[in-house]
Amino acid sequence: MDNVASHEDWKSCFSEVAPGLLLFARQWVQSAADAEDVVQEAFVKFWRRNHSIESRALLYAAVRSIALDFIRRDRRRARREASAFAEAEPAMEPQFEWEDETQSALAAAVGSLPHDQREVLVLKIWNELTFSEIAGALRISQNTAASRYRYALANLKKSLQPQ
Amino acid sequence: MNDFSELENELRNLRPARPSPILFERVEEALMDSGAGASPARQPERLPYNWFSLGIGLAAAAVLVLFAAISLERRQERREKIAQISPAPEKRPILPAQRDGIGVRGSTSSNRFIPAGATQVVYNTRDEGLQFARGSEQPLRRLRYQTHQTWQWRNPTTGASLRVSYPSEEVVLIPVSGQ
Repeated sequence: MDNVASHEDWKSCFSEVAPGLLLFARQWVQSAADAEDVVQEAFVKFWRRNHSIESRALLYAAVRSIALDFIRRDRRRARREASAFAEAEPAMEPQFEWEDETQSALAAAVGSLPHDQREVLVLKIWNELTFSEIAGALRISQNTAASRYRYALANLKKSLQPQ
Repeated sequence: MNDFSELENELRNLRPARPSPILFERVEEALMDSGAGASPARQPERLPYNWFSLGIGLAAAAVLVLFAAISLERRQERREKIAQISPAPEKRPILPAQRDGIGVRGSTSSNRFIPAGATQVVYNTRDEGLQFARGSEQPLRRLRYQTHQTWQWRNPTTGASLRVSYPSEEVVLIPVSGQ
């Protein structure tokens, strides 16, 4: 994933970034289908505008922005439909494909991280963005991005230690 | 960061859920469709940096308006100069001072009219046959044109316009040469 925009074939590019993008989108939207909507819109915009590698952060910023818009719309819709779905449990699809109990515990620990730490972790680990790119995508400073990452790892380590 | 290298490796081994195969089809369709708003996604068209584009657009529009204003001003100045040079179409109001013989020194710029257009519509042509002009051995064809002429002047300062229309008749003699 060293150069997203240099791929001539969008499919190879998309297949490479899509899982990470979806995971990133899932930090805001609950269902996988909603996350796919968000990712689709962001990627299509990014590809049409033919962004260069320098603006890769823009792809993630677009995902974030569209996801936040989605949440606002979804909240309004949820209020309208609250009475109809009062007893329904929200469907929580897994964000990871875990193979054993250790990975399951790790996935659960990631899910329990504070939101600001989790989004940095997702961008760093599963999207391989640099701290500079993370800072651009989230509109925070590089130092903030780096410190949130360290806090995320520290919290994970702490939560995974046997009691 | 060495404290966390093992944990980082474990995290990297954890694979995110894969996208559904239909997502690729949807993205392909959206990319094929070049029309605006064709994206099948549910959100409206919005980019995180659209304020930046809006700012550039507004700045460009302001520059264009500025250029247009300067150009209009220059054109108006040029028209005023032309109006000052051409004395023929100037319209002078009949003022009491003129009638008294004292006269008004020049006219104000708001009274200057410059030619803005002239049209001549020929609505009838009549061939009145051949004839010989006095002292000429060559026959002439006599054509009578009935026209309607319109002259127009415009005051660049006030924007007022003056139009005069009248019917006219012209007789034209065309020499005819026999072979």
